[in-house]
Amino acid sequence: MPPSQLKQLKSSLRESGVLAPQQSKKQKRQNAKTGAAAQGRAQRNAALQAIRDRFNPFEIKTAAPHRKFDVTTRDSGSNATAPRVRPGVTKSVGEEKRRQTLLRDMNRRNKVGGIMDRRFGEDDPNMTPEEKAAERFARESQRKMRKDSMFNLEDDDDDDEEFQLTHMGQTLSFGGGMNEDFAERDLEEEEGDLSDSELPRKRKRNLEGEDDDEDASLYDLDDGEGDEEQPERKKSKQEVMKEVIEKSKFYKYERQKAKEDDDDLREELDKGLPDLFDMLRGIQPPPKPEPPKDDLATMNPDRAALLEGAADGDKEREYDQRLKELTFDKRSQPTDRTKTAEEKVEEEAQRLKTLEEERLRRMRGEELSEEESEEDESDDNDDEGGEIEMLDDESIPDDAATFGLQQSTGQTARPDLAVEDEDDFIIDDDLVESRSNASLSFDESDLEDSSAEESEDAKEEEEDELINGFTIPGLGSGKAATATSETQETSQGLAYTYPCPGSHDEFLQIIEHVPIQDLPTVVQRIRALHHPRLHSDNKVKLSRFAAVLVEHVAYMAEQPEHPPFAVVENILRHIHSLAKAYPESVSQAFRSHLRGMAADRPLSLRPGDLVILTAVAAIFPTSDHFHAIATPAHLCLARYLGQGGVDTLTDFAAGAYAASLGLQYQAISKRYIPEFINYILNALCNLAPTSPKRNLGSFPSRTPKESLRLKPSKKLTPRKLQFWDTTNPASTPQAQEELKLSLITTFTTLLGTASDLWADNSAYAEIFEPAQKVLRHVQQSCQGKVPASIKDTFQSTLDKIEQHGSEARLARRPLLLHSHRPLAIKTAIPKFEESFNPDKHYDPNRERADMARLKTELKRERKGAMRELRKDANFIAREQLRDKRDRDAEYEKKYKRLVAEVQNQEGRESNAYEKEKRLRKGQR
Amino acid sequence: MARLVSEPVSSKKRKIPKDSGAPSSKRRVVAEADSDNAMAKVLELEEQISESRKYYNNIATLLSMLNTDGPVVKPNLAVAVSLCRVFSRLLAGGNLSETERAAENEKIVAAWLRERCREYQRALVTILREADPSSQVTALTLCMRLLSERATHIHGDDIQVWTSGLFKNVVEGLIEAKDGEVLRSEFSEKFLKPYEDVRYYTFTQVADYAATQRTPEILDTVFSILSACDTVPEPDHEFEEFYTKPSQNHKKVLSVNAHKKRAQDAWLAVLRNNLSQSQRKTLLRIMAHTIEPWFTRPELLMDFLTDSYNVGGATSLLALSGLFYLIQEKNLDYPQFYQKLYSLLDADLLHSKHRSRFFRQMTNFLSSTHLPASLVASFIKRLSRLALNAPPTAIVVIVPFIYNFLKNHPTCSFMLHRVVRDGEFKSQLESEGMDDPFDPEETDPTRTNALESSLWELEALQSHYHPNVAAICRIVSEQFTKQWYSLEDFLDYTYQGMVQAELGVEAKPLKRIPVVEYQIPKRIFTDRQLEEDGGQDTAPGSLLRGLWDFS
Repeated sequence: MPPSQLKQLKSSLRESGVLAPQQSKKQKRQNAKTGAAAQGRAQRNAALQAIRDRFNPFEIKTAAPHRKFDVTTRDSGSNATAPRVRPGVTKSVGEEKRRQTLLRDMNRRNKVGGIMDRRFGEDDPNMTPEEKAAERFARESQRKMRKDSMFNLEDDDDDDEEFQLTHMGQTLSFGGGMNEDFAERDLEEEEGDLSDSELPRKRKRNLEGEDDDEDASLYDLDDGEGDEEQPERKKSKQEVMKEVIEKSKFYKYERQKAKEDDDDLREELDKGLPDLFDMLRGIQPPPKPEPPKDDLATMNPDRAALLEGAADGDKEREYDQRLKELTFDKRSQPTDRTKTAEEKVEEEAQRLKTLEEERLRRMRGEELSEEESEEDESDDNDDEGGEIEMLDDESIPDDAATFGLQQSTGQTARPDLAVEDEDDFIIDDDLVESRSNASLSFDESDLEDSSAEESEDAKEEEEDELINGFTIPGLGSGKAATATSETQETSQGLAYTYPCPGSHDEFLQIIEHVPIQDLPTVVQRIRALHHPRLHSDNKVKLSRFAAVLVEHVAYMAEQPEHPPFAVVENILRHIHSLAKAYPESVSQAFRSHLRGMAADRPLSLRPGDLVILTAVAAIFPTSDHFHAIATPAHLCLARYLGQGGVDTLTDFAAGAYAASLGLQYQAISKRYIPEFINYILNALCNLAPTSPKRNLGSFPSRTPKESLRLKPSKKLTPRKLQFWDTTNPASTPQAQEELKLSLITTFTTLLGTASDLWADNSAYAEIFEPAQKVLRHVQQSCQGKVPASIKDTFQSTLDKIEQHGSEARLARRPLLLHSHRPLAIKTAIPKFEESFNPDKHYDPNRERADMARLKTELKRERKGAMRELRKDANFIAREQLRDKRDRDAEYEKKYKRLVAEVQNQEGRESNAYEKEKRLRKGQR
Repeated sequence: MARLVSEPVSSKKRKIPKDSGAPSSKRRVVAEADSDNAMAKVLELEEQISESRKYYNNIATLLSMLNTDGPVVKPNLAVAVSLCRVFSRLLAGGNLSETERAAENEKIVAAWLRERCREYQRALVTILREADPSSQVTALTLCMRLLSERATHIHGDDIQVWTSGLFKNVVEGLIEAKDGEVLRSEFSEKFLKPYEDVRYYTFTQVADYAATQRTPEILDTVFSILSACDTVPEPDHEFEEFYTKPSQNHKKVLSVNAHKKRAQDAWLAVLRNNLSQSQRKTLLRIMAHTIEPWFTRPELLMDFLTDSYNVGGATSLLALSGLFYLIQEKNLDYPQFYQKLYSLLDADLLHSKHRSRFFRQMTNFLSSTHLPASLVASFIKRLSRLALNAPPTAIVVIVPFIYNFLKNHPTCSFMLHRVVRDGEFKSQLESEGMDDPFDPEETDPTRTNALESSLWELEALQSHYHPNVAAICRIVSEQFTKQWYSLEDFLDYTYQGMVQAELGVEAKPLKRIPVVEYQIPKRIFTDRQLEEDGGQDTAPGSLLRGLWDFS
């Protein structure tokens, strides 16, 4: 059994030296003289406080008395070492805090007005005016540093060092100065000189501590923003850990230094011991103790340097300087050497090669295919509408290679394009000249603006400029572009300046009086005038203009007076060149046209549609496995071939055009188009002089309402089909027959081309067997009544098909599609958790786990908030009670005072009365 | 009582004469100058009849006013309505039925009245057949009214009036009425659907009517009437809705089987009639939902279905499901079924609009795992041949379909993977290559030698121009890890849908900027700068320029 509380108390008091044997008076006096008494008192108080704490059972909260078994929880171990909580302290802290905030609020309630002193440190008595000033300055600079202004250049987190002001590679620092420090040190040394007690030593250490603190804070600043810099930013764990490590290192160093310092001092004291003894013996003391400065000389030189603040600062500065030099060094790299012509050519070839490789990869859609099948499977797992999703998902392929490519086209492809269409859109010099002359009246500020803008953007603009291959005198045309909105007519009848049209109608208005031959010039001028280099809005304008041009091409082709194809081609080339700069808007324009086509007239394509489809073939890589424009365009073509009308010769002509386009789409990738074969065979069957006796193959047959069969005769000469055959029906019967014959020739040629294209197809024989039959039928039914050239065409095509057929037969092998590795059996080993903790939640469903975590957090927060509120309410009640008591007490006091006063008065009066009475009695 | 019952009818009908009857009376021979006068006259005559027997001759007057001998377009409906009231009253009073004990002159009067009543009925049926739609509807209502009165009040007449009397004439009139759409819809809405006895007797009458060969137009109306009754009573159905109260000695109306029997007879009579091709298709289309449930013995449909199946083309496709049902459930022996099915797979099938329906059914027919592998292989091979000329929407169905087949019949997977082990054959392959052993002309699916062949067609389609189709075709060369593809997800695609899937309905920002051809071609339409290339056009697009003249 432990001893009683009293005994324990006594023993602990004795141990801590509070209960010491009584001192004699002499000792007391001596102590008082040396100040040991005061020191002792402080020590005593501290010891007493410790004892009080130890003996108050409520001061420290201990662990729960019953302990859990280790097997049930892992926390039991940590329970023992749980942090000791001091409820009393926390309570008083909370109380204090409430007093600071809540009580103040309470007192201020129902009170209006008043002055808040927001000046910093104004109400803080233990700050010197210098400190206040420094703090204010710090606050000010902090506010500046905050990222609230986009024009604040000094706010970059990482580049903090770089923006520090330097002079000759040395940091210019305000306020926190080494100089100040140095001055202080000097001062203090003087002080040290003055007194010879231990005071200087203490101070010195203090100062050193300060110094180091400052160093540390400086270090913090350098090391990515201290706390003060950005109070709102929470430090990452890594940063915190780093800081902790730094701090502990720093403290270790400090301790070490202090220890060494102490040792040195002890040595020094030891050295002076004989003198002391001498002094005690009554011998004359030596003239003076050595100044502390000389200590340094006896020390290790490095330590001396460390102790010496200035030297310390120097070193650090030197280090900073070097570091900065290094960082600056890194920036200045050698410029690229100017390349020789051969190198340029080689580079160009290399670039083309990579582009071609990328195109091939896109064509194969290699990365894509696996994804798709996976998607396919996964989507089909959830049975409903899986397919639709699959189709949707597939519409945007997602492979890294193409992504990389896109980036590269943005950066590398551009400069070289100049070579390709350099000859195209050159602006006449006189045009440029006249414009710059015309706009002389422009004022200076604009000039400056544009030049500034130019110099800023010069880098990227350089590339853009090269796209078009013509140089624009930036300033002059810039002025013109911004200044003129109305066109200025010249002697040629063409204006030099045109506004950039935002819609097709506007464009039509602009070119209302422009002869169609001059359209390319107009487009070129618009492009030149609105070159993106000239104004920041021009990019948007030009991208819209590109879309307008797409619309216009389709529009042009549908005009009754057929535009010359040279013009259309030129516009298409313009569109292509614009598409490189603004692929988004051009693609959207194409897609919207295709959309309209698919919705309104999928089975009767207009010439405008055909031109657009041709443009797709020219502008976009139709060989891609998937392409956001080429694929739907191809689908539209195939749909037309598969379902479009076959009632007139113009229908057949349009079909022939669509078929040729389809083949051209697949010229590189050589993919198979079932609709193409179906259409051509059906068309041949319908155009042949006689109808086939029996079914020639498994292609679906569609017959026109009225027969369009050829009446063969030797007189007919086949011609090259014309684009406008797709719309204009042939007028005379003779012309009609000619058209029929030409159609037959074209279809036959197309078949021949297709057989070349698909010669490697593994089902070549099956695909072209009906074609062979149909061709033979056509050949026979013509009965030699056709020109020899046609016969040759038939024969050569047949020969070609036959030859490819025999090659295909030779190459044919039984399929070997399933030489896969056998699938492994799925394992069903349960998943074990290493170091499982029953208190932790191992929810594999991340979402649910997060939800649970949030819930617990919410619960905890709510509990905390409720507790706080309850405490607040208690506090308020307590305060109110106290208030009331105060008031009551005051009242009571007042009351008592009044009563006493009255009583006093009364007593006095009664005394006076008594006196009077006695007097009167006495008189009587 | 009759008066009371007829009140709503008469009050309703009185409005009609005001609208349509009034102008017509002007044109009539008998009509007075003023229509109000005519109305008053009619009412007066009617009143007199109800007052005393001596005014019975007014009936004849009224009938003559209703004169329907000539072409009837706008009959005097007021007269018809009042006559209906008169006869209802007389029937309720028992004046038309003769009793043994009645006096001679009573009998004469009753006979005379019956004669007039018949005359009136004839007049009504004539109106039903020939008048304008609103009059037709009125006439129909009057007929049915009279019919119910007769069935209620004349003893022994309750069945006869339905089977051979007035109702027979009404149904015939209905079918043959000109411009009768309104009339027929009125009939089916007001009488046929709500009242079960009406339906019962309609079936009987239609069966009788269709027993003789009719013209296609007539048959069309018969279809419409018959297919209007598409709710088949459950076996334990209680018949409660009757137009006339069923008499004790007529229990048949109360039995479900009798109902079904009548319906079956009616349909059979229709099916035996000479149907046009399109009618046959229509019938086959509604076969499963509307016709078959009525049949207590579906095997009676056998002849019709086999005939339809033998027609070929779309008709066969439509007859398939019914026939298969009979084969499966009723033990119908149709030895050529699969051969016929095989022959249905022709060039037009994949382009027809019945494609999805056919594939759904074919999944059923070929779902048995006991089918011979050679047969299944023939189907697979045939389908893949057809896929070579099929639109993408059909290919996306065929490939998963074939996949399911191959999964169910592993023997057929030789068509995808065949290792040649025979040395002799190997060397022959090396030197000569091979032909497809499959015989596309053979009609018997077990003898086509398809099992020896390979599915080169599907491999070829793996390079289809449409990426999604190509991706789907690629599943046959992947490992067969999936148990089966749900075919329903692949059916019902259209070009429009596919284009829309690519393009969307409206302009949306693209997820990824499309690649633009890096090289601007030198020429698209014209021969620009041809001499630079030495006169040879080898630039992209040369094919088009070679074939077409752009000028």
